[in-house]
Amino acid sequence: MRWCLALLICCFLAAVNALSSSGSRLLAVLEDTEQKSLYSTLWADLEARGYDVSIESPKSEQLSLFKHGERAYDHLLILPPKSKGLGPSLTPKHILDFMNKDGNILLALSGKSSTSSAVSSLLLELDIHLADDRSAVVVDHFNYDTLSSAEKHDVLVLPRPGPLRPDVKAFFDGEGVLALPRVAPQTLGSHSTLVVPVLKAPATAYSYNPKEEMPAAEDILATGSQLNIVSAMQARNSARFTVLGSVESLEDKWFSASVKTPRGEKTSTVNREFAKQLTGWAFKETGVLKVDKVEHHLATEGAELNPSIYRIKNETVYNIEVSEYVFDKWVPFEVPGEDELQLEFTMLSPFHRLTLQPTSRTETGTVFSTKFVTPDQHGIFSFRVNYKRPFFTNIEEKHEVTVRHFAHDEYPRSWAISGGWVWIAGLWSVIGGFLAFVVVWLYSAPVADKLKKTQ
Amino acid sequence: MAQSSLDVLLKGSSGRNTRGLLRVIILCTIAAAAVASRLFSVIRFESIIHEFDPWFNFRATKYLIENGFYSFWDWFDDRTWHPLGRVTGGTLYPGLMVTSGVIYHILRFLTIPVDIRNVCVLLAPGFSGLTALAMYFLTCEMSTSPSAGLLAAAFMGITPGYISRSVAGSYDNEAIAIFLLVFTFFLWIKAVKNGSIMWGALTALFYGYMVSAWGGYVFITNLIPLHVFVLICMGRYSTRVYISYTTWYALGTLGSMQIPFVGFLPIRNSDHMSALGIFGLLQLVAFAEFVRAYLPGKQFQKLLTAMVLLTVGLAFSGLVLLSLTGVIAPWSGRFYSLWDTGYAKVHIPIIASVSEHQPTAWPAFFFDLNFLIWLFPAGVFMCFQKLKDEHVFVVIYSVLASYFAGVMVRLMLTLTPIVCVAAALALSAILDNFLVASSPTPESKAKANVEDSKSLRSTRNPVVGIYSYFSKSVVACSVTLYLLLFVAHCTWVTSNAYSSPSVVLASKLPDGSQFIIDDYREAYYWLRQNTPDNAKIMSWWDYGYQIGGMADRPTLVDNNTWNNTHIATVGKAMSSREEVSYPILRQHDVDYVLVVFGGLLGYSGDDLNKFLWMVRIAEGIWPDEVKERDFFTARGEYRVDEEATPAMKNSLMYKMSYHNYQSLFPSGQAVDRVRGTKLPTESPQLNTLEEAFTSENWIVRLYKVKDLDNLGRDHSNAVAFDKGLKRKRTAKKKGPRVLRTE
Repeated sequence: MRWCLALLICCFLAAVNALSSSGSRLLAVLEDTEQKSLYSTLWADLEARGYDVSIESPKSEQLSLFKHGERAYDHLLILPPKSKGLGPSLTPKHILDFMNKDGNILLALSGKSSTSSAVSSLLLELDIHLADDRSAVVVDHFNYDTLSSAEKHDVLVLPRPGPLRPDVKAFFDGEGVLALPRVAPQTLGSHSTLVVPVLKAPATAYSYNPKEEMPAAEDILATGSQLNIVSAMQARNSARFTVLGSVESLEDKWFSASVKTPRGEKTSTVNREFAKQLTGWAFKETGVLKVDKVEHHLATEGAELNPSIYRIKNETVYNIEVSEYVFDKWVPFEVPGEDELQLEFTMLSPFHRLTLQPTSRTETGTVFSTKFVTPDQHGIFSFRVNYKRPFFTNIEEKHEVTVRHFAHDEYPRSWAISGGWVWIAGLWSVIGGFLAFVVVWLYSAPVADKLKKTQ
Repeated sequence: MAQSSLDVLLKGSSGRNTRGLLRVIILCTIAAAAVASRLFSVIRFESIIHEFDPWFNFRATKYLIENGFYSFWDWFDDRTWHPLGRVTGGTLYPGLMVTSGVIYHILRFLTIPVDIRNVCVLLAPGFSGLTALAMYFLTCEMSTSPSAGLLAAAFMGITPGYISRSVAGSYDNEAIAIFLLVFTFFLWIKAVKNGSIMWGALTALFYGYMVSAWGGYVFITNLIPLHVFVLICMGRYSTRVYISYTTWYALGTLGSMQIPFVGFLPIRNSDHMSALGIFGLLQLVAFAEFVRAYLPGKQFQKLLTAMVLLTVGLAFSGLVLLSLTGVIAPWSGRFYSLWDTGYAKVHIPIIASVSEHQPTAWPAFFFDLNFLIWLFPAGVFMCFQKLKDEHVFVVIYSVLASYFAGVMVRLMLTLTPIVCVAAALALSAILDNFLVASSPTPESKAKANVEDSKSLRSTRNPVVGIYSYFSKSVVACSVTLYLLLFVAHCTWVTSNAYSSPSVVLASKLPDGSQFIIDDYREAYYWLRQNTPDNAKIMSWWDYGYQIGGMADRPTLVDNNTWNNTHIATVGKAMSSREEVSYPILRQHDVDYVLVVFGGLLGYSGDDLNKFLWMVRIAEGIWPDEVKERDFFTARGEYRVDEEATPAMKNSLMYKMSYHNYQSLFPSGQAVDRVRGTKLPTESPQLNTLEEAFTSENWIVRLYKVKDLDNLGRDHSNAVAFDKGLKRKRTAKKKGPRVLRTE
């Protein structure tokens, strides 16, 4: 019933908008409205993909992320402000509340000016760290654009990132190079499991504050690939927060600029494609997983669907249908390379952890299923699919079922157990013997006078 | 004219009929009085199930009514002991539920529309009437005096020792078990007296019923063999004993094994070995008797000694061997605690933590039995005077039951019937002698002496008589006075001590009017109406049955206490820091935590007062993580105020109890009225739980377990952020940086 409803709603949603899986209202926060024209290609691209882009200044009076306690926008794009903070309606608390209500955020930083302390403390809550003085820039003497920063080496020229690990799907890869001018680097804390790097700086990069005359060697934030140019954080409710280190890379100028590395040829950048990939991911156009339906039942023919009670040692089948959203449509989900979608059958701890195999495919989803025997332990178990991977929205399906003991009439009968034959024979021999004894006793009365003598 | 008509009524066969009729009327009146005196709680409060265990029995009965007998038999309860569940159908004594189910269906069949709750509430009073009747039969077997039975029935009907477990609403196993106990003993006495298979079989039948109703059946299982053993030792072996015992043992054991909870215990558990042993012994004795009839005396003596030595040696070594190999289960912990009252406290805190398992205080005997307790020895003495088979039974029963009642408060219940029998014997002897208007004649005295001169002097019945009307009237008056006082005492005790449902508390306002404190039900109904149907509630096990019964929500632990580790887990969660408790709560899918806090009202039965038991039980499983010592100050005090130990102040239980409590008082003046101490100025800070509900008088407090933080932060950090505290940038860490490897 529930998944029927979910399916209906999904169909409805698909009809209404042809883009992000979670709404089209995009708020871009931009301090100078004159700067709007700098990013005209970006706005045009976004609007072409179906977003209702509204551009507001953080100082604006009527700017509010919430209306009547609900989100007023689905997505938020924050371009770096010049002033100290983002204003009274975009405090870190508001922004986190926005995320807690499933809003997605793309935050762009710039190495040109120092980042505001409000942004820094916001990032700190997410375990993303900026340099202490908040005005560092990534410099790389090997991968810079010789045309635009021949001296400062602060326009990085990098290929697009491949997959993070062999078992993670790559959302940002492709041909071509990116030009990333004046990147504000981020490092990721080691506590949070929710943050992932999207684009790491090359091993030869380091962070450097151009305002300081002499960089102190001990004060270096981080070097090499510990520095992130683009990093992402996905909350437990799958709301996305993306940090882009270089806001200039989104400008029209860099969308179609030509760059040249010290070693390489002169090539044009693919910043525009990358911007599409990045905003697409950040605003949930890609990497969105959806569970269409979950079915479990006994492995026998005509068994009841999704029963609430099983018995120990029942053979059980579990099916889950998963779809993935790719830009404008749901497609069958395919588990990336070395990864596995797993089912756990848990009570306190997993009794089974099984790989779900794709068995069939519908128009929009892949059905994964497995078959197993419930453990010899009664209790309240749950079918649990806990699939949390970088860049994919979280799947956390938990279905509680009761596993009961054998009922009194479900054991095999005594004569069906060969070991019981001894006892059955004993039982009947006693009964037979007793009957025989009674018969002998009744028909063997001693002769009357003999009895008198003995007495 | 009047004289003669009275003569017609009182003499001859019509006199016998009149007395019979009178006896029936008196018994009916006694039964009515027994029922009526148990209705205080229904009249004062309402028709409500009391206390803790009855709520489970009530819930089980409802399940039986709704789902039928077989699904009750196979019931797997997934709403208790989450996530383990409980094989309820196989781990309960179904007698009580089945009894009320049968009554319910009979009433429905007679087209009397009755609510199952009312059947359950009134079952105990109804059966107490039957108990009085059974008592009459039992005592009549002991004495020739017709008044003894009636007195015993009256005593049994209203003595507080029995009322304490059988007021209306006290829907517990004991409600029917005491009737079955008394009636089984009556049938046993009857069987021994008559040596009849029929009475033996009836004993077995009621024994089976008793087994299905109450774990206290073990008392019968051991008392009857002991009776037989003593009879054999006294040289009173007879075919009567043989027939009645073997019939009872064979049928009764088979019957008891039909109850899934008992199963193979009768042949595997040490508690039941005496019955089996006596069964074997009886066969040997019977065989010896048989052989004696055919052998000359001297050879028989030799044979007998050899046989006795052989069998004793064989049986003993067999028992030891089977016990060591584990075929026969060792004595259960509850059994040990019967002999050593300190045993439970050291080894099984879960048993010791129950107040009704504590040793009895001496005043309790007088409180529960009033003047019966000092008539009791007199009655036992009189049994020694006659000392027939049934009197031996009374003597053994009184000795055993007195001991047990001294060890455990709740076993007062098994002592009560025999006290009533003995006291009735004593009192009826007094009344029979002193309430006779005519003086004894010397001839009858002489005749009696001649008859008795052959028997032992100690057993000779000296014939005495009371000649003075003065002494007769004094004794009669004082006995009447005692009886009246007894009735007054019983009524007072019943009304004041035993008629509180304990779900609802009553107190008096300064102007004398009654003030009902209904916090428990308020909180349970809040749970029922505001939480999802399968929200898991964690509380200390005392409240498990009530939450299951009234709030209808799954619980982690309840009063069944079958899994000590699970209870210890809850104890650990309650007594540890939040950082330790939270993963436990998450692992067990806990949605709400319930604590009982009496600090505002001065309600002393709250969780903080039980807290040390939680700590002890948790320490039994995790001695390294939870330590009782940490909850006492350096001077060995258990404190909750400013000087409470850090372990105490950081424990989840402390935080939940006092969360926001300080806000009720002007700053710095918060007082705990149970512990009588001033509290710290600062209210404890809860990070992983949030307050969901607090009842009117703050007795029940409910907390919701927070989900993991959406942004992956610690709860303490998240709470600090929400409060507007700025997070300090992690200061320069010492040592090398921790690098991320992706």
